Amino acid sequence: MDIVFSAATVAYGARTALQPLTLTLAERRIGVVGLNGSGKTTMARLINGLVKPTAGTVTVDGLDTVADEAAARGKTGFIFQNPQHQMILPILAEDIAFGLKNRKLTKADIAEKTDAILARFGISHLARRRVHELSGGETQLGAIASVLVTGPELLILDEPTNQLDLKNRALIERTIAALPEQVLVISHDLALIEGFDRVLVFHEGRLAADDTPSNAIAAYRKLAAC
Amino acid sequence: MLNGLDIEGNSPLHRMPVRGKLILLFTAAILLLLISDLRILVPALALTALLYLSTGIGLKEAFRRTRFVLFTVLLVALANYLFHSVHEALVVFCRLSALVLLAAAVTATTGISAFMDEITRLITPLERFGFVRAADVSLAVGLVIRFVPEIFARYGEIADAHRARGLRVRPLTMLVPLIILTLKDADTIAMAIDARGFRRH
Amino acid sequence: MTTRDIVLVALFAAIMVVLGLLPPITLGFIPVPITAQSLGPMLAGCILGARRGSAAMLLVLLLVAIGLPVLSGGRGGLAIFAGPTAGYIIGWVVGAFVCGLIAERLVREDQSELSQFISFLVASVIGGIGIVYLFGMPWLAYMSGKAFFETAAASLVFLPGDLIKAFVAMLAARAVLAGYPLLPQRA
Repeated sequence: MDIVFSAATVAYGARTALQPLTLTLAERRIGVVGLNGSGKTTMARLINGLVKPTAGTVTVDGLDTVADEAAARGKTGFIFQNPQHQMILPILAEDIAFGLKNRKLTKADIAEKTDAILARFGISHLARRRVHELSGGETQLGAIASVLVTGPELLILDEPTNQLDLKNRALIERTIAALPEQVLVISHDLALIEGFDRVLVFHEGRLAADDTPSNAIAAYRKLAAC
Repeated sequence: MLNGLDIEGNSPLHRMPVRGKLILLFTAAILLLLISDLRILVPALALTALLYLSTGIGLKEAFRRTRFVLFTVLLVALANYLFHSVHEALVVFCRLSALVLLAAAVTATTGISAFMDEITRLITPLERFGFVRAADVSLAVGLVIRFVPEIFARYGEIADAHRARGLRVRPLTMLVPLIILTLKDADTIAMAIDARGFRRH
Repeated sequence: MTTRDIVLVALFAAIMVVLGLLPPITLGFIPVPITAQSLGPMLAGCILGARRGSAAMLLVLLLVAIGLPVLSGGRGGLAIFAGPTAGYIIGWVVGAFVCGLIAERLVREDQSELSQFISFLVASVIGGIGIVYLFGMPWLAYMSGKAFFETAAASLVFLPGDLIKAFVAMLAARAVLAGYPLLPQRA
């Protein structure tokens, strides 16, 4: 699926969070790195319309994120930095089913899809658990399941391994590697994106490098050092 | 942490549809407020007490749940006794107690989700006027149940932070950070709801 | 209402529920224990404004009605609405609305601290006490049969405690305004 930025700009009053960005992304595994406040999260939020460009356009599979907001949003799923915040309903299965409501599905369809996605991520045993009692790794898997259940083609993850221990970090790395969906990961965890197809480096609101992982990570280290 | 007040069972009241129970309660309330004849009110109180106990709740729990409201009823009856007559006190006591017990019986026999379904059905016609959206109401109820344990845990953390800094745990210094820290999450949670496409504008 | 407004309303209602789970605070000089929860309508109006504040109170009442024990002391269920003091609880919704309306009109972020304090106090006293009593007392009087006058008068013993609550609400609302201003967004 093609994600196309055409001179997309985000400004909050006098502050420009993202300088005009023109870019086409089609790779299956895309990494995004940058220092805090570099514009990388803004860029990712543009893709599913959580942030609207103040100038320029962003399209996802040909759908404009402003004009065709709902349709474009259906193409992408978003995992937030703190996935606890995106679990909306008290019980995991209820929370996963939440994304399927308001979609004119029958109760049986919703239950079937929920069970299937839980099984896909090997967390069927957590279905009736309270979401606030899940461990870090379980929360992350539950959040991924709750987003992918609606069938987006692209999954955006913002710092997915940030709050995890080494074991869960490995689990999430394996899970991301195995996803058939297109993936865009924002991360400070450079090991996670080493094997990716393309890595973007953001610095002070601009795209500073756009290269293979090893070259991009080298450029990032140089930027971070000064 | 937040469990409903419904009791498992299969009494006649359990089997009655939610809407039927609400209509029954409403009608009973109007009748009880209109009637001042003790020959009707005393049997009415006995009947509602029986109905409440027929839910299988047990005497102790039945009393524990209604004692606060019954206490206010008793105070009101006492005022009638002191300033008017025993008769007036009995009328007020029987009337209000019967109403309270019937209401408690409806609550004891109605599950949260069954009640929510009925509420959703009742407010759906209002959507046309643009006041409220039924889906938003059930979302809000779900959010409260979801976040109460988290906010409760946060209260504990703030209290610990007070002690760690050698501060006394004062209501005001607890309340303010609790409110600010909790409401600050609203942006992320709202964004997560929008990201999942739940509310289509 | 935007999604954010719905979330703010739900989170505020959840805070009210949590405050009900905590033990009541007794202030040395008055006999009635103060539950932080009964600050609800004042705080809701002063912090969230009229619409969102009253919606938060309405949500708490909905939780009570469907049978969740969310009022202080684990009270809940329809029996709450059948008792003689139900009017006060119903008054929370309108009280929060009026309190919010006044706070929205009077409070400005660029005001002096003192004017903000006074504005929040006025809003809390009128909305959180005046309006709540306006609903609570007639209902109590009606439910009291012949002794309507005496019980309504007796309920005034709570007035000193409620004035202290208005004072606490004023302090809390002003601190929240300084730390995370939501009121000026006028939703």
